[in-house]
Amino acid sequence: MISLLQVQDLHVAYISGAGKVSPALEGVSFDVLPGETLGVLGESGSGKSTLALALVRLLPGNAEIQKGAIQFEGQDLLRARPRALERVRGARIGLVFQEPSLALHPTIRIGKQVSDVLAAHEAASRAARHQKTLQLLREVFPADASRIADSYPHQLSGGQQQRVLIAQAIACGPSLIIADEPTASLDPTTQQEILELFRMLREKFNLSLILITHNPPLLAGLADRVLVLYAGKVVEIGPTEQVLGSPQHPYTHALMQSVPPGLDEPAKDRKSRLRVIPGEAPNLAVLMNGCRFESRCTDRMEQCAEREPPAVAMSEVHAVSCFKYGE
Amino acid sequence: MIQLSGWKRWLLAIVVLHGIVACAGFFAPYDPTEQDREHPYLPPMRIHLVDTQGHFHFRPFFYAEQLRVGSFDQFEEHSQQAIPLRFFVTGARYDLLGLLPFRTHLFGAEASRVYLLGSDAYGRDQLSRILYGGQISLLAGMLGAGLTLLIGVLIGATAGYLGGWRDGLLMRVAELFMALPWLYLLFALRAFLPLSVSPVQAFFLIILVIGAVGWARPARLVRGVVLSARERDFVRAARGFGATDSYLLRRHILPETSSVILTQAAILVPQFVLAEMTLSFLGLGVPEPVPSWGSLLASLQQYSVLVSYWWMYLPALAIVPFFLGYLGLASALQQDAGTEKIVRTAGGSRW
Repeated sequence: MISLLQVQDLHVAYISGAGKVSPALEGVSFDVLPGETLGVLGESGSGKSTLALALVRLLPGNAEIQKGAIQFEGQDLLRARPRALERVRGARIGLVFQEPSLALHPTIRIGKQVSDVLAAHEAASRAARHQKTLQLLREVFPADASRIADSYPHQLSGGQQQRVLIAQAIACGPSLIIADEPTASLDPTTQQEILELFRMLREKFNLSLILITHNPPLLAGLADRVLVLYAGKVVEIGPTEQVLGSPQHPYTHALMQSVPPGLDEPAKDRKSRLRVIPGEAPNLAVLMNGCRFESRCTDRMEQCAEREPPAVAMSEVHAVSCFKYGE
Repeated sequence: MIQLSGWKRWLLAIVVLHGIVACAGFFAPYDPTEQDREHPYLPPMRIHLVDTQGHFHFRPFFYAEQLRVGSFDQFEEHSQQAIPLRFFVTGARYDLLGLLPFRTHLFGAEASRVYLLGSDAYGRDQLSRILYGGQISLLAGMLGAGLTLLIGVLIGATAGYLGGWRDGLLMRVAELFMALPWLYLLFALRAFLPLSVSPVQAFFLIILVIGAVGWARPARLVRGVVLSARERDFVRAARGFGATDSYLLRRHILPETSSVILTQAAILVPQFVLAEMTLSFLGLGVPEPVPSWGSLLASLQQYSVLVSYWWMYLPALAIVPFFLGYLGLASALQQDAGTEKIVRTAGGSRW
């Protein structure tokens, strides 16, 4: 199967006013197949939001893509002209941001904001856009699409606002949706509703989905594959059951250990203290030779501090960057 | 009664004041250039309802004025000659709002000229000259403010939106303009341009001159608003769905500058009216016989006028209600800026 999106050796760094370079992503490579859902897992500062913005070239002015290639539907987005990027964003790649209340314009009605997406890409008449907007809103609000269309963002709940963003993202029939922490600001029930909506839309429109989160359980049952990001590097990538079920990299392992047990587990397990990973994520502005996780790793070896571990293929689909494997 | 709140009340006051000046031809009894050499520096006339015999008249009247015996500039009322004030009289031809030819004036008199606010050295009616002069001064102020805002918004939005070295360069130029002593810059600019020009040319020269110097402050304010607006999440989200720069500027960024622009406009108009008056006062404005508030005050440069004829100060008083109106509007707009109004459109879908 030909991949829809192929990211190769992507390097992104933030450059401070004084010219200090802090790398945010180093040598990130992965691909997304048509119709596939890729979960990107990482703690704050691991570079997951930078990755989302870099894919559509929306990084802030102080960020710089140093090298790499992003092949999407036959064009390299890193070498595309601004005009060409505007035609990709929204039309071929839909974006869903993490704070829906801030991502909508406060004084423009919802319907107008959705139809503006259509207007940006399609030369349809006003009436046709109007029809299509209502149709889109019905996808995410089966019951009261026209009332929502007449509302202002402040009249909607967080979950409703997130649904509007999703309607905007799917408006022009994209092949890929990038959702950056789409449920971070929502309560657990609404989170499940939004994930259910993603699941439904993915089937209906045959979408590929990149779902970025810090919360492993969200990916279970939704993502086909999981990419684990730590300090700007891919430490593990593979099928969801394998990565979350039997994590191979010490970081993924530690991460899964720190997930709070679910309510369905015995009460005595819940009483015990939540496990945490000791230490903190490294400061990326300081140059490092070895593995990024070395200082916090329980399985560290001598060579870990000296050179970077290469990616080792555990199977055809599962790769881990750790010296524990290979050789 | 329509309930008007805040800035709308001030706006209404300003519109009424401007309406009076715009229809100067109707409210002024005479043509501003029409001379009456028999009555130079005539003080404002008294309007009476009761005559010297103590009889009450429903129609207001005034007495004809004549030179006091043995004096060359002292006038006295001629008690035998009561002249009734008439309303909606036919008089000098004028073009209402520059378009419609009219002859009807709000008031006037048949036998003699009435000078409600006195006359100047050539016996021209001061009231008519103040009203007509307001047209020049206010129009110059408004067009100058418009030009300044246009330049300011263009430069400010460019600097704020593009950022980087272009922002730095434009803002350094703006700082330079703010540091310049603007009055002397006006002199220099005006001196650079030809001195003897027709009134129309002079008028547009003034607008160009005052419009070109004041752009720095609005530009900086607009830049600040644009700078914060373009970093908003919904602007980035709009970029995420493929919005173009022109869409972002039109829909998301420039609308946020509207309250700053309106407030600046209300502050700049009186400032530029004053600038026009300063230039005209110094003889660099619209030349005689066309009146403007500044050139009307220019006669005060003569010491004898300054000390003898108090009614020649009146043009300076005329600007007071205008300035109060504009400054009131500016502060009301500033208070209102935070509370964005949601406009409902009637019928159909609302978006």
